[in-house]
Amino acid sequence: MSTPPRTQPQDRPDLALRVLGMTALVGVVATVWLGLFVTPPDEFMGNLVRLLYVHPPMAWVAFLAYGVASLASLLYLWPRTRAEHFDRLAGASAEVGVVFTGLTLVSGSIWGRPTWGAWWVWDPLLTTTALLFVLYLGYLALRRVPGEFHVRARRSAIGALIAFVDVPIVYFSVEWWRSLHQAPTVLNPTTHKTYVHGSMAWTLLLGFVSFTLVYIWLMAHRYRLEKLHDLEETQGLEAALEERRAEAVAG
Amino acid sequence: MLRDAALVAGKDLRIEIRSRVGLNQIGPFAVAVLLLFGLALGPDRQVLAPASAGLFWVAVLLSTVLAVQRSYAIESADAARDGLRLSGLDPAGIFLGKAGAVVVQLLVLEAVLTVGVALLYGAHLSGALVLVAACVAGSLGLGAVGTLYGVVASGLRVRETLLPLLFLPVVAPVLLAATKAWDEALAGTPGRAGGWLDVLVVFAVLYVAIGIVAFGPLLEDG
Amino acid sequence: MNAYVEAGYVVVLGTLSIYGSTLVARERAARRRLGVPAGPQGRDVPGKAQQESGDVPVPGPGGSEEHDRGPVP
Repeated sequence: MSTPPRTQPQDRPDLALRVLGMTALVGVVATVWLGLFVTPPDEFMGNLVRLLYVHPPMAWVAFLAYGVASLASLLYLWPRTRAEHFDRLAGASAEVGVVFTGLTLVSGSIWGRPTWGAWWVWDPLLTTTALLFVLYLGYLALRRVPGEFHVRARRSAIGALIAFVDVPIVYFSVEWWRSLHQAPTVLNPTTHKTYVHGSMAWTLLLGFVSFTLVYIWLMAHRYRLEKLHDLEETQGLEAALEERRAEAVAG
Repeated sequence: MLRDAALVAGKDLRIEIRSRVGLNQIGPFAVAVLLLFGLALGPDRQVLAPASAGLFWVAVLLSTVLAVQRSYAIESADAARDGLRLSGLDPAGIFLGKAGAVVVQLLVLEAVLTVGVALLYGAHLSGALVLVAACVAGSLGLGAVGTLYGVVASGLRVRETLLPLLFLPVVAPVLLAATKAWDEALAGTPGRAGGWLDVLVVFAVLYVAIGIVAFGPLLEDG
Repeated sequence: MNAYVEAGYVVVLGTLSIYGSTLVARERAARRRLGVPAGPQGRDVPGKAQQESGDVPVPGPGGSEEHDRGPVP
């Protein structure tokens, strides 16, 4: 497919995205290298602490994505700020968010097995994350229901609000529920806070930043994909209408 | 708004009384669920009795899905939304009416299930005030969320599978709080259920409010 | 190195890479289907893309419909 020479303004978003991608990649590679090879093993956890350079960033992004999707949905519903891009933003953030949420659960589980002896514990944060995962899936299923753009967008936005307003309630309920039971003494599952200092702290910070960049990059691409799909749909509709008109004229 | 709500609720409940679907189908379904739990976890009452509260509320949650689907199915086949939309009634009133009808049916169901749980699991019913309060507050929340998602799903071909997927995760806190409240009541310490009842009330108020605002737009779409 | 740690890193990095590449691939495929050259169209990409430059070969009848209409009434 031959591309005519592009003018400068169109290139900039693409370039920005590419730079973002590169930066994110470098950050992740650095995090992995530091996390696996440079930082020392923990006093208590040994090498398992290395998973803590990855798991908390996953959780952070999962909830960040949820926040973005909720905010975007709200902005779409608010008449003064209603715009198509907010709906697409919500959808994009939700899809990327569900991936990170799944990874939070899996990485948490992998960390949990040697640490607590079980593949799953009813830790408030993990449990809320699990529920968030299912809420995301429901929201994405709702988005897939066919319909005219504005109808679909409004329906999804309201669905998002109903679901996501729930998350704080879930968190506090589960936290309270768990606090009523004895927490395991040796390693408290609710403590995702271990003592990090020195190189470990920097690596963790780098992890948070890098994966946030990854999230933004993924979201940008997902957003563009959404836009292209909408374009295709509109084109398909136009084509069908054209056909119909042609038939009407001919027949 | 309230007048329209009473109108719609009255209509829904009259239809129910006449058709008796709730009585003939949803009720037996709920009892069947209790029996299935019994088969899965029993027969030792030492296991079942402590679990009564949780099993009770799971049965209620699942039955709510059916009740909501029924609530929308009674509008003439798939013209459900059109009928409601064109009726000229205040959408918030329609919401309250439909949700209200569902809540009433849930309360009746819960009464039946309470007996079931006492009978089948050997639950020792105590702390009646808490039990009832939890049922009322919990049902309000369930009814509100169900009616909201119900209108979203109604008229869609995927409604049977979409509604449970949307509904059940969102009402997880209701399940949790109601079960805990019931646990305290059944254990003879109803005083400790206060906080859980608060959660149920907050949830109910929140989602009734959302429903009043959001039902109109949802009804228009699709 | 601990097998759990390895598994954790592999799963996370692997999943993100796979997801990222499928996104890019889907995007390319959609572009191909539409006949749109590389680069986003429309005003809604934060700040940058300028439609008025006029050099963009807009494909088919659908192209002009797509741009954000701004506040939807």
